[in-house]
Amino acid sequence: MKRLLATSALLAATFGATTAFAECGDIKMAEFNWPSGELMANVDKFILEEGYGCNVELVVGGTTAIFASMNEKGEPQIAGEQWVNALRELLDPALEEGRLHAVNKAPILGLGEGWWIPPHTAAAHPEFKTALDIIEHPELFPDSEDPSKGAFIGCPAGWGCQQNNASLFRAFDMEAKGWKLIDPGSAAGLDGSIAKANERGENWFGYYWSPTSIIGKYNMQSVPFGVDYAGDENWNKCITVADCDDPKPTAWVQSEVFTIVTDDFMKSGGEINDYLAKRVFTAEAMGSMLVFMADEQADGGDAAIEFLMKHEDLWTQWVSEEVAAKIKGAL
Amino acid sequence: MGLIDSLPEILVEFPEMGRADLRDFKKGIDSAFLSFSRENGELIESFFYPLKVFLVWFEKLLLATPWPLMIIVIGILVWLGARSWVLVVGTSISLLLVGYFGMWEDTMRTLALVSVSTFVCIAIGIPVGILMSKSDRFQAVVIPILDIMQTIPAFVYLIPVLLLLGIGKVPGLIAVCIYAIPPVVRLTNLGIRLVDKDVLEAADAFGASPRQKMISVQLPLALPNLFAGVNQTIMMALAMVVVASMIGAPGLGTQVLKAVQNQYLGLGLMNGLAIVAIAIVFDRVSQKFGKRLQKHSETIHG
Repeated sequence: MKRLLATSALLAATFGATTAFAECGDIKMAEFNWPSGELMANVDKFILEEGYGCNVELVVGGTTAIFASMNEKGEPQIAGEQWVNALRELLDPALEEGRLHAVNKAPILGLGEGWWIPPHTAAAHPEFKTALDIIEHPELFPDSEDPSKGAFIGCPAGWGCQQNNASLFRAFDMEAKGWKLIDPGSAAGLDGSIAKANERGENWFGYYWSPTSIIGKYNMQSVPFGVDYAGDENWNKCITVADCDDPKPTAWVQSEVFTIVTDDFMKSGGEINDYLAKRVFTAEAMGSMLVFMADEQADGGDAAIEFLMKHEDLWTQWVSEEVAAKIKGAL
Repeated sequence: MGLIDSLPEILVEFPEMGRADLRDFKKGIDSAFLSFSRENGELIESFFYPLKVFLVWFEKLLLATPWPLMIIVIGILVWLGARSWVLVVGTSISLLLVGYFGMWEDTMRTLALVSVSTFVCIAIGIPVGILMSKSDRFQAVVIPILDIMQTIPAFVYLIPVLLLLGIGKVPGLIAVCIYAIPPVVRLTNLGIRLVDKDVLEAADAFGASPRQKMISVQLPLALPNLFAGVNQTIMMALAMVVVASMIGAPGLGTQVLKAVQNQYLGLGLMNGLAIVAIAIVFDRVSQKFGKRLQKHSETIHG
């Protein structure tokens, strides 16, 4: 509190007090319980506290718990990395009725689920522009147990994406083209197969999602599907359903992440909302930070400091020069 | 409280390694293993290649065999092993049930993995057990290793196995064998060591060579223990089926994982019970087979 007062006094003296500064008091902010969520919450906390003089309390939780609390109780006031797809039916009415507002509709770039290849495969085969090109060459991705077939590494048993990959495997007619859909068994199996392919310089083709440390660590390359998203009808009624008759080839459904604030905060937050709208993590920055967190086993707080030190060129675009100067001073 | 305050700090706070040093230490292990895997991975993979080919072939064989034929073949094997009609009928009924509930293919995959794993475990385990019984020094080295193999959490060795061999059946088999091999080694060793010294003296008196003594005297007399070991190895191999599925060895374990992930009680129970059914068949057959062998050898010596 002392620091807050001191900062306000300093501000009043230097720039003349703006209402937003004076009003920024206590904020409750969601800290999602996965690495990128932790990082984003802690970066926001540091910037808001040091740059804007707020007093931020982090509330740890998962997607549904945080959303329910914001929607029903109006607390926490900010959720940085709210994944939208699973909440669509609840979120859309809340946004329409104005209980919640999406101040930033893409706080992290290059995110989502899809198909990936290692960088050495991409470099050796520049002709692989899309998944359609790769599908024609199963011989370059031989399955270890049946080398006559190409191995496509799908999703572990029981995950939602297992069905989606199985449907896409059929939609792209991959079996007839000489592919085999491999079940890696678990997250460890999936990660291990990516790690092995990269350590040995072997080709690998399969499913993963971003932002994640393993994608960042090995600089895995996302493969465009080469076809457009074929509509919600196809995705929701066929791709995600077991044994659908006629799955059509499609790109993966767009995963969306919003930064969401409550209605109260939308009205009172002032320039903090401007900051949240501008605060966009590039895929590279987020990827490299997730690698840092995994390698160093760093928590969100440590990672936020590391981010602010290493990626100054990025975050200084989000704030005014005066605010940037204060944050640099605090580092 | 007073005591804590009056103690020097070193006794209160454990003098642990610095955070950075500790991290470097762990990273050092990681990078050493990764470079080992980069350099020797392919060699190790080619070493296991014949096993992989056999596993794939055996699984394909079981899957391609028409189910009535498969049940007849398994029934004959059970009869040869146990000589018990009750067991043959029980086995056939449980196989029919498993098939009826849509688990035939996964059961065949699991059966393939477990039979080959058990075979590999026994092929390695019994010779190691024999060597252990002959040399106290070797025994002193091997026992702590067996202790580690039995108690270390499977997830710990899954990571290096994955990096060396990727996902699939062979890494699954290795994971199974690491866990399942100790009983057969221990009980082979124990069984041979427990053979009556007087009997050995008698064998010496007849001028038996060490080799003859082992094959005609020690091993037959050790059979009850040895078969208890084989039996335990089979049971433990089946218990590891779910873990093997976590690194891409498909079968009943895959369905169990799926059930765990989604809280599908019915699916989990059905596949779990199918594993139990295989286990009971293996258990009863190997026990009866062991007992019969024993009688057989007793008549020779008796």
